[in-house]
Amino acid sequence: MELARAAHSGDESAFAEIMRRYSPRVFRYASRFFRQRNLVEDAAQEVFLKAFTELGSFEGRGSMEGWLTRITTNTCLNMLRGSKRRPELTASDLTEDESTWLDDQMGHLAAERHRSTERSIVAADLAGRVLGTLPPDDQLVLTMMDGEDASVKEVAKLTGWSESKVKVQAFRARRRMRAAVEKLLGRKRTKD
Amino acid sequence: MKEKEARHIVTLIENTPFAGLSDEDLSTIRLHTAECTSCRSAFEAAYISSMMLKERAAESFEPSPFFQTRVLATLREQQAADSWSLGKLWRSTGALASSMVATVALLMVLTFAIPASQESTSAVSAFSPEAVLMNDGADDLVSDSEVLSTLYGAEEEVVK
Repeated sequence: MELARAAHSGDESAFAEIMRRYSPRVFRYASRFFRQRNLVEDAAQEVFLKAFTELGSFEGRGSMEGWLTRITTNTCLNMLRGSKRRPELTASDLTEDESTWLDDQMGHLAAERHRSTERSIVAADLAGRVLGTLPPDDQLVLTMMDGEDASVKEVAKLTGWSESKVKVQAFRARRRMRAAVEKLLGRKRTKD
Repeated sequence: MKEKEARHIVTLIENTPFAGLSDEDLSTIRLHTAECTSCRSAFEAAYISSMMLKERAAESFEPSPFFQTRVLATLREQQAADSWSLGKLWRSTGALASSMVATVALLMVLTFAIPASQESTSAVSAFSPEAVLMNDGADDLVSDSEVLSTLYGAEEEVVK
């Protein structure tokens, strides 16, 4: 709270200290929304610029981290809403690595998965591409709830949505994601 | 239980994150997907979606060493731009205020100085040709002898 007050009164070093403390968290959080480093960095910069102008409204009731996370959520959602959604992903759009990864997953559905950094990157890339075809709110709820095991309550707190809205949004988002992947797998099977 | 197994499991996998499915849910799903092809492909897709999302969530970027410098520079630029636009606003407000003062001053001049000059003009114009011709009170000011001497005096002097 002291730091926030000092930064609000124009103390640049106090604001730099806030950035030093919280930028890793803001970056981690913005990385849920974007897969390109430059976009994550743009979002984080926007978050801190907004935070600086709104420091006066930070009353210190909650944590600074929580306050910044909420600003990050809104900023990233707005950025996503402002950008064009990617068209539907088809099997022919898949890279060879992505195609292999999908085959492996289907083959190892019941068995133990082999995990490697390279495979993880391929999976994360593919997830980013599939998520990019979905509405921004779907992307948020899926990444948080299914990717990071966040609870309905946590998502509601961060987004300002009601818990029932979060549940409905998650249900619809899962359906859309599943349909997109199912279509991809179906076309892939046909293609193979 | 049998009735539950017979139901399609799509709603179950859409209601809960994949990682949140209980052992009971998973055995129900397994039993059902062994016979139901459409639910099996839905389950595969849900499983793969979940794996992708987990990998996606595990990835994150760290701030670059120049991040703070970049934000602080942008902040300074914004503040400079804000103060410049404030100055511009102040200057334009000043120009507006001075033009208003000039207008008020002009109006005051017109209100107080012009009527006085109009009075003096009317005093002079009492002897104007129009006023004389219309006999607009000029007779009261100038006597007959003065008029006669004005009209014929010069003539007499010429005759003499």
